[in-house]
Formats: sequence, structure tokens, C-alpha cells
Amino acid sequence: MPILEEPIKETLKLKNYVDGEWVASQGEVKDVVNPATGKVIAKVPISTKDEINAAVEAAKDAFPDWRRTPPVARGRCLFRLRDLMEQHFEELSRVQTMEHGKTIDESRGETRRGIENVEVAGGIPSLMMGCSLEDIAAGIDEYLIRQPLGVFGIIGPFNFPFMVPLWFAPYAVATGNCIIVKPSSEDPISQIKITELADEAGIPPGVWNLVNGGRTVVSGMLDHPDIKGMCFVGSTPVGRDVVYTRCGETGKRVIAQCGAKNFVLVMPDANLGRTVAACMTSFFGNTGQRCLSGANLVVVGEGLNEREYAAFYEKVVDAFVDAASRIRIGCGLDEAVQMGPLRDEGKKERVLGYIEKGIKEGAKLRLDGRNVTIIGDWPDTCFLGPTVFEDVTPEMTIGTEEIFGPVASVMRARSLDEAIEMIHSNPFGNAASIFTANGKWAREFQYRVECGNIGINIGIVAPMAFFPFSGMKNSFFGALHGQGREVVRFFTESKVVIQRWF
Amino acid sequence: MENLSLTASAVISFVGRLEDSTATFYEELAERFVGDKETLLGFAKESRKNKLWVTRTYQETISDALEACFAFQGLNLGEYAVETVLVEGASYSDALKMAIELEKKAIEFYLDVAECSQSLLATIPRAFSRVAKRRGKRKLELESLHNKAVAGC
Repeated sequence: MPILEEPIKETLKLKNYVDGEWVASQGEVKDVVNPATGKVIAKVPISTKDEINAAVEAAKDAFPDWRRTPPVARGRCLFRLRDLMEQHFEELSRVQTMEHGKTIDESRGETRRGIENVEVAGGIPSLMMGCSLEDIAAGIDEYLIRQPLGVFGIIGPFNFPFMVPLWFAPYAVATGNCIIVKPSSEDPISQIKITELADEAGIPPGVWNLVNGGRTVVSGMLDHPDIKGMCFVGSTPVGRDVVYTRCGETGKRVIAQCGAKNFVLVMPDANLGRTVAACMTSFFGNTGQRCLSGANLVVVGEGLNEREYAAFYEKVVDAFVDAASRIRIGCGLDEAVQMGPLRDEGKKERVLGYIEKGIKEGAKLRLDGRNVTIIGDWPDTCFLGPTVFEDVTPEMTIGTEEIFGPVASVMRARSLDEAIEMIHSNPFGNAASIFTANGKWAREFQYRVECGNIGINIGIVAPMAFFPFSGMKNSFFGALHGQGREVVRFFTESKVVIQRWF
Repeated sequence: MENLSLTASAVISFVGRLEDSTATFYEELAERFVGDKETLLGFAKESRKNKLWVTRTYQETISDALEACFAFQGLNLGEYAVETVLVEGASYSDALKMAIELEKKAIEFYLDVAECSQSLLATIPRAFSRVAKRRGKRKLELESLHNKAVAGC
């Protein structure tokens, strides 16, 4: 099958976007490498503290005028941005594949999810409306208005370089705030492209800023007194111990969406064909590098005797391993490919470490992704095949910690209660899914499980733009979540007015 | 036989090639056999619309949460390859026969992919089914044109 044309032809020299201008950074420069081909596709600056401070200053200066811009006019800017994104849909998608490694289908899916957030935010006149009540006492009325706060920082992760900052950015801007986006320095090009389009859409200078970089930029935002709040998506140690903690200390609002270890339950009455297809996307989509990935596959024997359970377990695991073993791996721009590489060599090493640990702890390696066959003549630096372990228990490292790679751990549970206990014994609470035809089991699961996103016959529980992206326990720190109405509340202060006229 | 599984991207690209080559085929036919020019150009126009419509449906429905890379099990696109190059000096009746075969294959393809894509959002299989239906209508029209052409001989 032919490889789709690459939209990036020569190495890009990335800049920061501050106050409506593209400015070169004085910081050191890092390579952005296409993980499938090993080619350097861009040079990204690691910006300095002065540069982040300048961006905050520009955003702060832009805020008074922007907040006075009528919501309907702000919404129109977002609709223009949405139209531009549609026009550039394919280019934006292929850029993601080049900088991240995911397949073209996955990239297009990510682009669509991102655009949907811009669309929803475009409806800000309705979303931002307050409420009122006449005659709270005789002749006295009370009403609530939502007001923007000022400048917000958005820190994007490497695994969804296009979509994740859009869980926040369009809503922040639509509500009248100004933003500074710091994309992951591993794959910053998508955010550069979005910012170019935001500029073209007529979003005024200083409202939407982008500063490339690493820890200095993050610390600069966290410590800056003029930043009112932070949105972060990334690992639990950074989200909890750095971002959430520091925001608490400096009095900032915070959304910190963090790590996960998601359980997928297969009940005896599940539609096996559909379940396995959904599980392939869940466990191995995005090469397992997503906080909604399935990690632990629990085969549940509710209502079965020992012999029946043994047969059911074998049937599920055989089908799962068989499908996983057929996944075609290679460069994501090859339309035959179903799974791309990991983002970089270090991430592959980390996953390999977990595979070693799984073997040492006594899990049975049923499918070994280390023996990977790649379609095409690509360096195997970042590639790893689907890996499946059996006989994993919740106490094992591979059953507990987030691996963030294409590794599935199969577990056994004799009952739904036991499976739910297993979920609850895990420190994360991002997502959990059940595959069943039984409404009672599904309802019980949805009711009891302590996870923010619940799937019923859905492998990837990714909430649509008009719903919050939830999370619990070690998967989320904050009060309000990204996307939809919740994030509109996050980006606004509720002001109550009580009035009477003499 | 290996249980082939195609990505959604591969299937959508195939739709593009199929509809483009079909449109070109009917445009050539319209040039050569001017008697039914309008009808044949109408088929070409419809094919270009089919491509646009299916591509748009895919792009508007695809999501990172769907089984896009794993939806199309057991399909071999090679089985749906069609001949769209007219032989020099072919009669109108031969050309219409070729067109009917092309439509049969296309209908088969669209019905198969509609069946395979049930795990995607409903709009995707629905888009495939709708094109299958349109091409079914077209096949009936071609058969009627063929009958007339044969009777005219």
C-alpha cells in the first residue's frame, strides 16, 4: 500500500508566538524526531524564563480588551478557526502522524476530536449564560454572571499533541481569557499549526500565545502571580506533586488530568467478536500511549462453574491473542498499518523494562512484542509489537503501574464483585469498561466503579467535547474537568448581583 | 486464508479511487456515445459526489475512540478491482456490459464494507449502504440502456 505524502518536507525551525508575532527564542534547541523514520523534522526551542514572562505580560495586556469583546464575536473567531481546521484537516492529521508516530486513522480521529472542542466553544453565548431570579425578596432581584479571570497556562502532553490542548484553549479564549500554550517539546508542531490558524482566524494579538519549552516554562507559569489557573495533562507524579501542589500554594485554579491503569471486564455473555475488535483499539491503539487505554483485561466467570469458566477464559484469551498477533506495525502514513511506533526510544526502553518485570514476577508471556515485524524498511528504534501477559494479579507491578505502551495484562475474576474489588484496589481511577449483554451487570458496574469514565461495550471511553473528561483518584487532581460546560465554569468566576431600586 | 483486517483509511482511499475511475469511465463513454451523453455524464457526476460524501462522512465521524484500524475484517480489496479502460473500437453494447459489471462489483464492495463497519458509528455503514443503493439504481438504468442498445442493433 502506498505511503501517504508527508506534509513536512524540510526541517522546521520552530518559534514562539507572543503578542501576535512569531519570535525566535534565545534558549537551546532540541530535535523533533519522527519516531517511525528516525528523521529530524523540526528544531524546537527550550524557552527561557524571560520569554515565558514576556508571554504572560502580553496576555495580561490583551485581557482587558478581549474580555470586553462580546461573546458572540469571540465565538465567531472560533468558528473561523474551526473552518480553517476543516480546510487543513488532512495536513493537520498527517503532521500528527509524523511527529508522534500514530496511524493516520488515529490522527484523523484526534483532529476530529480537537475540532469538536472548537465547535462547542463557539457556542459560548449560550454556554456562558448566567441565571437570574426575580423577587428573591419583595422588589429585589438576584442574578449570576460569569466573568473571565485573566491569563491561563495550558501544558500539553506528548500522546495527543493536537487534541489535548483543545480540551481547554478554545473555551478559555471563548470565555474572554487569554492563554499561553506550552506544547510537549517532543511533538510541538501540531500546536504551532493550530496557532498559525488561530492567527489567521483573527484572534487578536496576545490572546492566544504559544511558548515552546520544558521545565523552565512550566515553573515560570506555575510561579507567575498573573497566571490565574493551569491546565495540565500528563503523568501522575508531575500532575499531583508539581502542578497541583504548586497551584495550591500559589492560589491558582487547576485541572490536572493524570495517569491511569484501566480495567476492561469481559463477561460470559459478551459479544466476543465485537469485544475483541474494541479491545484491539483499547489496548493497542495509539500504541498504548493514552490515559484511556485498556491495560488489564479481566475475564469474569460470573455465573459459570469451574469447567465452563476455564473454557470461556481460554476462548477469550485465544481470540484476544490471535487478533493482537495480526496487528500490522509500521509507519503511520502507510494505510495498511494498524499500530505505529512508540514516541521515542526512551519510552520503548521503559516499556521493555515492564515486560522484563512481568516475566520476573511470574506472569506468563503469551505474546511477546519484542519480536516485532515491521512493514516497510524503517529503523526498529521505537517499534514494539503488542505484548500479552496471562496470569497477572493486581499485586504485580505490570498489573498496577501505568506502562503506557502496547502491553495487555490478562487477569481472572470469578465474579463481578471480585473484578470490581480489583479495580478499586488500584490507585488510579480514570476509566473502566465492561463488555456484556446483561443490563443488570452493566448498571451495577456503572453504579459502583470508582472511575471517572465508564464504558459499557466501549473500549475507549473518550467523552465527547460537550461532556467533561472525567477522572478520579490518582488520575485527576482538581475539581472541574476539561471540555464542555465544566471547563467553562473553570475559566469563569461566578459573580452574584442582588439589586433593588429605591 | 489469512483473516485480513483493513484500516478505515485504506478503505476510504479505495472508495476514492473506485469513484474517480468510475467517473472517468463514464465521461469517456459520454464522449464516445453521445446519444446517452447526459445520462452518462450524470453517472460521472454522481460518482464524484459519492466520493465526496463518503470521505466527508468518514472525516466527520472518525474519532480516536473508534475501532478505525480494526473494523474491516476479512476484506480483500483486490477482489473488488474493476476494469475501467474501454477497448478501442468497443461497441456501445459492449461498453454498457462493462459498465454493468463495474456496478455489480461496486455494489458488492459497498455492501461488504457496510457490513464490516457496523462497529463504527452508524453513519459510516449507512453511507456505504446509501452508495450501494444509488449504484443499484444506476445498474438498473444501465441494463435498460443495454437492452435498448441490443434491440437497436
